[in-house]
Amino acid sequence: MVWRARLAQHVFGLRSIAPLATFRVVFGALMLFSTVRFMVLGWMDDHYLEPLVHFKYFGFEWIEPTSAGVMYGLHIVLCVAAIGVMIGFFYRISALLVFILFTYFELIDLTYYLNHYYFVSLVSLIMIFLPAHKMWSIDAWRNPEIKMPEVPAWTINILKFQLGLVYLYAGLAKINATWLIDNLPLRIWLPAADELPIIGPIMATKAAPMLFSWGGMLYDVSIPFLLLWSRTRVWAYIAVILFHAITGWLFQIGVFPLVMIGATLIFFSEAWHLRLWTARIQPKQKEKNTQAYMQPTQLKQRLIAISLGLYCTFQLVFPWRFAFYPGNMFWTEQGYRFGWRVMLMEKAGTATFYVTDQTTGREGVVFNEDFLNAHQEKQMAMQPDMILQYAQFLAEHYQAQGMHDVSIRAEVYVTLNGAPSQLLFSDTLNLLSVEDTWSHKTWLFSHE
Amino acid sequence: MHKQVAFLILSFSLIVLAFSGCKKEESEDQAAFDRKALLKNYGENLILPAVSQLQSSVQQLNNALLIFTNDLTSENLEAAKNAWRAAYLDFMCVNSFNFGPGGEQGLNKSITEEAGTWPTNTALIESNITAANYALNDFNRDNRGFHAIDYLLFADDATTTLATFEDASRRAYLLAVSTRLNQQITALNNAWTSDYLDEFVSNSGTDVGSSTSLLYNEFVKSFEALKNFKIALPLGLRAGQTQVEPHLVEARYSAYSLPAFRAHYATIIDLWYGRTSTGNDGLGWRDYLENVEGGPDLIASTEAQIVLIDNALESISDSPSLEEQITTNFDALNNLHARLQQHTRYFKSDMSSILGITITFSSGDGD
Repeated sequence: MVWRARLAQHVFGLRSIAPLATFRVVFGALMLFSTVRFMVLGWMDDHYLEPLVHFKYFGFEWIEPTSAGVMYGLHIVLCVAAIGVMIGFFYRISALLVFILFTYFELIDLTYYLNHYYFVSLVSLIMIFLPAHKMWSIDAWRNPEIKMPEVPAWTINILKFQLGLVYLYAGLAKINATWLIDNLPLRIWLPAADELPIIGPIMATKAAPMLFSWGGMLYDVSIPFLLLWSRTRVWAYIAVILFHAITGWLFQIGVFPLVMIGATLIFFSEAWHLRLWTARIQPKQKEKNTQAYMQPTQLKQRLIAISLGLYCTFQLVFPWRFAFYPGNMFWTEQGYRFGWRVMLMEKAGTATFYVTDQTTGREGVVFNEDFLNAHQEKQMAMQPDMILQYAQFLAEHYQAQGMHDVSIRAEVYVTLNGAPSQLLFSDTLNLLSVEDTWSHKTWLFSHE
Repeated sequence: MHKQVAFLILSFSLIVLAFSGCKKEESEDQAAFDRKALLKNYGENLILPAVSQLQSSVQQLNNALLIFTNDLTSENLEAAKNAWRAAYLDFMCVNSFNFGPGGEQGLNKSITEEAGTWPTNTALIESNITAANYALNDFNRDNRGFHAIDYLLFADDATTTLATFEDASRRAYLLAVSTRLNQQITALNNAWTSDYLDEFVSNSGTDVGSSTSLLYNEFVKSFEALKNFKIALPLGLRAGQTQVEPHLVEARYSAYSLPAFRAHYATIIDLWYGRTSTGNDGLGWRDYLENVEGGPDLIASTEAQIVLIDNALESISDSPSLEEQITTNFDALNNLHARLQQHTRYFKSDMSSILGITITFSSGDGD
């Protein structure tokens, strides 16, 4: 039962709180930065307030945006809560607010789904349960009794697990012939970046897509292990910075490179984090009147162990659900989301919807820009579940306008990785007769 | 063992990075497309001449209107009408350039909306004339621009028109509209000739906000406007319409919709080839596509479809007017719309996808 004792060490063994405190500050600061950025760029209006339609997440159809005043108010609360997390001020409440508010905004519209937003939601959920404020925080300064230099190992390891999983699964997803042999979609994307300073000329070379495809895959699958192992850690972290700096420069991916560069600091040793804190804050005073970590009761330990087990199992298993669907996942997108599949395909579509009033037999073509912003139209035009939602919306809209007995068909042409576009499904199918479920979408054509 | 494996992987990643870093000198082996040359051709040989030509024809229109309002003769009216027709065709050639100085700026909408909004709000024009209100300083677009002049010059027969222009207020309104139009087009031309051309050519990335992205976006929008508003709408094809609506044709009063449609379409095809209005073929989207993955296939399907659109368009004659043909020649027009609709995907999604042009501002998924 050696492995069991070892596992217990990784869960309930005591570790310095320092890495957690660093993570708290970095994560809070990044949340603050990205929230402010979101508002400054005017995305609140563009994403949430102006569109007439919002695409819903399965199971979260009840989430709606509210009035402009409330939405901006909530965003400011989110900023304040991010500061609360960063400086450890009313930490638990702040962490809870960050999780709820950030996730609320993400759930409003499926259009804006990104793996990295999902990652942020997961991490902020985890943060609620971590005692990250028990040292070097306003809470600990105001109330020294909560000070606690040591925390159970799971509070740090769960973050390493989550980060490592993102990288590893992103890397595993790249092990396919399209990525490694055809070097698609990088063969499309890199030449478009040929005018960037310094790296531009590299991108235009014939070898670049092959090198970056293999390099990206090897980086993703190996980096969690290289960060875990102390002898490679510094080099691995340099690779992290380089990798994210280059991808951040090449592609329009917002704050994500910063998030990963900041978050992977959690892999550094507790000695390293401790030096970071004690070199800056009160080096003279040894923390004396602090609490020793009290091992929780057997029952509580069991509860923690079970929760961690369930969470990790879910994270490990859920991304593989695509394997239960027949067909090309990139084409059908069944099981695509929430699986750390990032930058894996170049896909775009043109979707033309036709509405028929079945009593008069008259068919009309929909001007998508009447209802959708450019981003919504772009995402909808290639994702089957969004196409069904849009058809439902159109039916309601035109029925409210006085049409009776509406049927809706669509001509949706999609191009995947530069191949000539083809119909995603039959252009005579009445989309209102199709229900969106988790079962295989038999109405989709397969990709030639 | 583990250490060795890990070390191997690490070294390989670093070698990959280092190797790609050293590739700089070897970049001759690339067949990279020169986007600056593409933008230079578009800017210098297509856009600038089109804008200058429009400026001079709008100036001539303005002169003809001054002569007409000064001396109300049927010859002067006919000359003014001809000047309008010429200027309107030239206006079709800048329909795709609603960015930079032609884009939305401050309180101004794009140049197409400012100068080319229809259907004309004739009631508003008449009430402005009655109230001697020529300021045009509100935010209406449908009581000014080319289509206001279209209404004022062409709505009635010549005798009636000459009679109505005895009203000084009507003459003043016509001149106010023309002066404003002239000012806006002159400002557009000045911006392009002074410094915008250089800015346009040098901003040659593919990111959002680059000239490549701006030009591409407006190219697609222009194509969609042609299909949606110039054909689908009067044909009553838009969802929610219950019948044909011939009165919604562009340039209704001059019955000039079809020549304008042809000019607009020809501009889009010229943009595809990178061809000037005089037929000089330079670098265009087509040449860009020849240099990218999947490009040749897309060129083939695009041009096959262009032939179908050409045929559909050629089967329709300029007279009688589009407004009449909406009812008398519905099938041919419906066929033209269908051909344009089939074409949309080549320009709209296939092309941006393989050229790697970013068209929306929001972040994508990171790695």
